[in-house]
Amino acid sequence: MGQKKAEPGDLLRDTLDMLILKTLSRGQMHGYAIAEYIHQTSEEVLRVEEGALYPALHRLELRGLLVADWGASESNRKAKYYRLTAAGRKQLAEETARWGRMTSAIARILEPA
Amino acid sequence: MSFEWLTEARLKVKALVNRKRLERDLEEELQFHLAMREEKNRTLGLAGDEAQTAARRQFGNVTLVKEDCHELWIFSWIETLWKDVQYAARILAKEPGFVTVVVFSLALGIGANTAVFSVMNAVLLQATPYQHPETLVTLWSINKLDSSDDDETVPIADVATWKKANHVFSDITAVGFIDPATLTGLGEPLQVPVQFVAPNFFALVGVQPVLGRVFRLEESHEDSQTIVISDEFWKTKLHGDARVLGKTFRINDVDSTVVGVMPAGFKTFGPWMPAKHVDVWCPVNPEDARYANRVGFWVVPLARLKPGVTLTQAQLEVDVLAHAFEKAHPQHDKGVGERVISLHDTLYKYAQSQLYPLLAAVGFMLLIGCVNVANLMLARTESRQKEYSVRASLGAGRNRLVQQLLVESGLLTLLGGSLGVLLSFWGIHLLRAFAKELPNAEDIHMNGHVLFFAVALSVVTALLFGLGPAVRASRPNFNDTLLQGESRTSTGRHGRTRYLLVVSEVALAMVLLVGGGLMINSLLRMALPSPGFDPKNVLTMTVKFPETGGKYLQKTPGKPLERISPEVTFYHQRLIEGISVLPGVESVGMITMLPPTGCGGRTFSVLGHSAPPDGKPPFLCSNEVSAGYFRTMKIPLKKGRYFDERDTTSAPWVVLISETTANRFFPNEDPIGQRIQLHYTFNEVDEERPRQIVGVVGEVKQVGMGGLHPLVYEPFLQQPEVYPGGSDGFHLAGTLVIRTVSDVYTREADIIAAAKQMVKQMDPDQPVTGISTMQDVLKDSLSSYRAYVIVLGVFAAMAVLLASVGVYGVLSYFVNRRVREMGIRYALGAQRRDVFILVAKLGLTLAGIGVGIGLVLALGLNRFMKEHFWLFHVKATDPLTYTAVGFLFLCIALLACYVPARRAANVDPITILRHE
Repeated sequence: MGQKKAEPGDLLRDTLDMLILKTLSRGQMHGYAIAEYIHQTSEEVLRVEEGALYPALHRLELRGLLVADWGASESNRKAKYYRLTAAGRKQLAEETARWGRMTSAIARILEPA
Repeated sequence: MSFEWLTEARLKVKALVNRKRLERDLEEELQFHLAMREEKNRTLGLAGDEAQTAARRQFGNVTLVKEDCHELWIFSWIETLWKDVQYAARILAKEPGFVTVVVFSLALGIGANTAVFSVMNAVLLQATPYQHPETLVTLWSINKLDSSDDDETVPIADVATWKKANHVFSDITAVGFIDPATLTGLGEPLQVPVQFVAPNFFALVGVQPVLGRVFRLEESHEDSQTIVISDEFWKTKLHGDARVLGKTFRINDVDSTVVGVMPAGFKTFGPWMPAKHVDVWCPVNPEDARYANRVGFWVVPLARLKPGVTLTQAQLEVDVLAHAFEKAHPQHDKGVGERVISLHDTLYKYAQSQLYPLLAAVGFMLLIGCVNVANLMLARTESRQKEYSVRASLGAGRNRLVQQLLVESGLLTLLGGSLGVLLSFWGIHLLRAFAKELPNAEDIHMNGHVLFFAVALSVVTALLFGLGPAVRASRPNFNDTLLQGESRTSTGRHGRTRYLLVVSEVALAMVLLVGGGLMINSLLRMALPSPGFDPKNVLTMTVKFPETGGKYLQKTPGKPLERISPEVTFYHQRLIEGISVLPGVESVGMITMLPPTGCGGRTFSVLGHSAPPDGKPPFLCSNEVSAGYFRTMKIPLKKGRYFDERDTTSAPWVVLISETTANRFFPNEDPIGQRIQLHYTFNEVDEERPRQIVGVVGEVKQVGMGGLHPLVYEPFLQQPEVYPGGSDGFHLAGTLVIRTVSDVYTREADIIAAAKQMVKQMDPDQPVTGISTMQDVLKDSLSSYRAYVIVLGVFAAMAVLLASVGVYGVLSYFVNRRVREMGIRYALGAQRRDVFILVAKLGLTLAGIGVGIGLVLALGLNRFMKEHFWLFHVKATDPLTYTAVGFLFLCIALLACYVPARRAANVDPITILRHE
């Protein structure tokens, strides 16, 4: 039941988690919308099977970073909407900062001296 | 630190409570996604089915995603486990026979081990309630000239001498025998267990009274003393009276004032008495001048080692001092050495010698049970190979398979263990009967420790028999199994493993059976032959006049001599006469100590015979009797005459001897008319005058039910008035044997009441004790040995039962596997008899090899058996026992073979071949 520590091999999973958090920072969304958004904004660079999104969502929900509620979709169907919790926002900020540090570090390495 | 896990647990519990809703939500969420995607695809121009298919393709494996999500929400390991348990329960429910045998095998093993552990836990694993018991030792005397090498008590005066002379002990005290004494002053005269100890005993063991103080030497006088009482005596007999200190009773006619109460749970011990309850402690002074003659042998010295002194160092010093004693007292201490024994061994060695064989027995039982179960599991694993292969092919990981099998064995153990704990309640009850003379016996019961032991044992057992087959099952070559199906004719390598297991369990059971057989043989030889008298319709009771108090025994000042009041003989005689005229009484006799409770030791010489070559006078087992004793007990006269009215105090002194005495000491001559001189053993003093042998009577089991001792009987009327100190107690005691004309149980109440009334008239403070029928006396004398034999016998019987079940199981399996082969054999013309013999022969061969190995093992262990099993008249290598139990076992094995062989013989070839 304890929280799982991220391991280096979980890079993809961490990235997906971060993308989800980032996406949801715009407001509450259902799974399909999140998938669509990630598709569009990443210009289809991150091509994962859409199904992989759901275990990630549920994991984040269980960690208390997201909460979910049932509501009606644009097409008036019943859909499960996710939104960030305070913990989720904090996590996103931390992750973003970390990501920034890492990318700049990588950039410095790759830049010609 | 965040509380993520708390959120997670809360959500999971919510999901657990409403599992259906979780499933539904998940389903709806995914369906929503697929529907949205399908719609989008349609807007992108895909038609109908294609839009749906594309949506699914883009999504990936829906089932897998669902499962992945689902797994996040559940307490996964618990739920998988629960599923496994349910599955295991379903599977096992289909095999009641298998489950019964396994549960029964485990229950017996675990139950028996738990029961024995409860005894070990109480008796051996409890701390001795003294301070630093590890530095306490006892001192014993050994006679180096004697081959027996037994530990004997030392003269009480030694304690005083030791105290002055040694450098290894920080203090030394004396602990006496625990004997019943008469206590008056509390209504009816009572018999209470009393122990004499030196005043420093309590300080030496480091336990102080909860109330008052211990006694002091200066308070101890000829006719008054101070005493310390037990908590139990205080609470039950004195009702916890807060003003108990200063209360005075008379104990054996000595005024005794209570000065202290020991705490509850304080335990004491005496020479050869590791566990005996004491109500009253009385003071003894080892330095008293009266013990200087070194004839009082009724204490064991208890000493505390100085810090840093080891047992070996103490023994070295004791050896030197014993040598000095030998020089100083050549008369008493010739060849006498002393032995230092740790208190732990003093208290627990006997118990250990009793419990270790039991521990070995139950260990064997558990092992046999485990072998049985492992064998069955193995057979079962093989016949389920196909199931495992299918499951593995469908993606079950090896761990899941192992877990599944471990859950099955865990479930079986749970059942077996629970039943075992239930059985152990009965086992503990059975063991209490034999363990009642062991230390701390009152603490033998089921408790947390014992229960924990049972649980731990079950877990170990489950792993032991469950892990092997589980690991085996998890790594078969699945392809082969699936392609070939079951192999039906070959027994193969696994068959041999099973045969090996069966042979070994039969061998183990055989060893136990030999042990049990030897004990039962020994018991039969003790209990079956006549005790030498007719115990039916005989009532017994004892009137023992007190040694102390001066009423019946007067000490001669300055001399080691004691005078017995003539009232003692007179009262006993009047009692015999009074009871013999009561209605329903056929005859009455009296003896000092009832058979089989013992006798007094006397050495003797035959007048006119030369002294024995080794200089040691021969030993006789002596009792004082009334003339009517032999007729009342129906002890036959073999030669000469019984005692009669002629043998009065003034007539020439006479004796009767038993046949053993006659055969041993008068092998080639007529004992009648020979004159013998008896000596008191403690002090080698001659009796007042020689006695003439007037008759030879039949054998009697006088000392225990084991062996025959050379007996001598003296008339109680022909006794001296003055005894050398320490030899007088004998004449003070008289045990009446009263033969009734009809059933003793209908008469006893009246006779007992009348006898008590008579005694009361003689001396109102004199109790009547040991009231019992002769049959009960005999039964009691064997009761703890009988209980021990029953326990071992039950264990052996269970072991044999388990091993037979093992033989049965492996044969059944053999028949099942080869049923097709049998069918073919019949089709080809084999006779049913041939098939029957084929199966029976296999079973008997396995059992035969097991029995053979078991017999050899038992022979190898005979030294252990000789040491730890008390065997009487039976050698540990007794061929009769070995043959009998071997034969018995083979008969039982034959029975176990019969059913499967019968089934094989009754196979219908048509059905079998059609079944293909």
